[in-house]
Amino acid sequence: MAVSVAKQGYELGHGHDEHDHEEVIYQETRDMRLLGFVLFLCSDVVLFSSFIFAYIYLRTTVAPTWPPIMDGHQLPRLDTAFAAVNSVVLFGSGVTMHYAMEGWKHGNKGRFNLFMLFTIILGSGFLGGQAYEYAHAQIGGWSGSIFGASFFTLTGMHGFHVFVGVVYLAVLWWQTSRTNLYDTHRYFGLTAGTLYWHFVDVIWVALFFLFYLW
Amino acid sequence: MEGLAVIEKVIALAGAVVVAVFALISLKGEWPKTGLDDQVTKLLLGLMAFGCVLVLLAATGVLPRGGA
Repeated sequence: MAVSVAKQGYELGHGHDEHDHEEVIYQETRDMRLLGFVLFLCSDVVLFSSFIFAYIYLRTTVAPTWPPIMDGHQLPRLDTAFAAVNSVVLFGSGVTMHYAMEGWKHGNKGRFNLFMLFTIILGSGFLGGQAYEYAHAQIGGWSGSIFGASFFTLTGMHGFHVFVGVVYLAVLWWQTSRTNLYDTHRYFGLTAGTLYWHFVDVIWVALFFLFYLW
Repeated sequence: MEGLAVIEKVIALAGAVVVAVFALISLKGEWPKTGLDDQVTKLLLGLMAFGCVLVLLAATGVLPRGGA
């Protein structure tokens, strides 16, 4: 009996040590993974910046007037009012993502699920709005003018990032409901998802200003 | 089409105010935190609130200059 109790105590103690060890490894690798992810976001900033500076150069140096002239007529400006609504949809999804993350950190899974659902719906809504705008923009298509080329390249690249983000969030949501990958202490994937989603929001701030307000 | 644009601007205006308020509340909540992810989140939430200001300027007709 005494041996059995001692063995049980050893096993419990051993299990505890193992858990602590796992915790240390998680914290150490979490910092490295986080740094790697932030560097990935920085590289994405460089990618968007190169296209944005190309657009600024084309607009300020190459084109004599903006919107440029095509077939003897000046192209119309893009629909600012519609883009403003679409921007609010995307920025709103950033806020709901933040609240979903806060819900997860505080162990409130109901709140997490609700705000995650809102985020995915709003993100998809933004993509739908973008598709509508592509169908109705009268700026000469991708190869028709430098306006169209810049607009469709940059917003297309951003839209692709949003699409990847929606899929990423859907996968994270599935993982939280079907697997034990995350708990209230270990949730690096969710942190990365949140940062990525905020990042695509912020890139849109720049694109919204450049294409609709400038 | 003009009527639709007015409706869109009203929706954008109201939405931008709501989103900006919640973004700033979130930013205030994040402010004391010091981790790398928290710092990045603060930066991105601040820029998102700035984005809402741009939407407000668009909805009120301040930008773009010369009209949409």
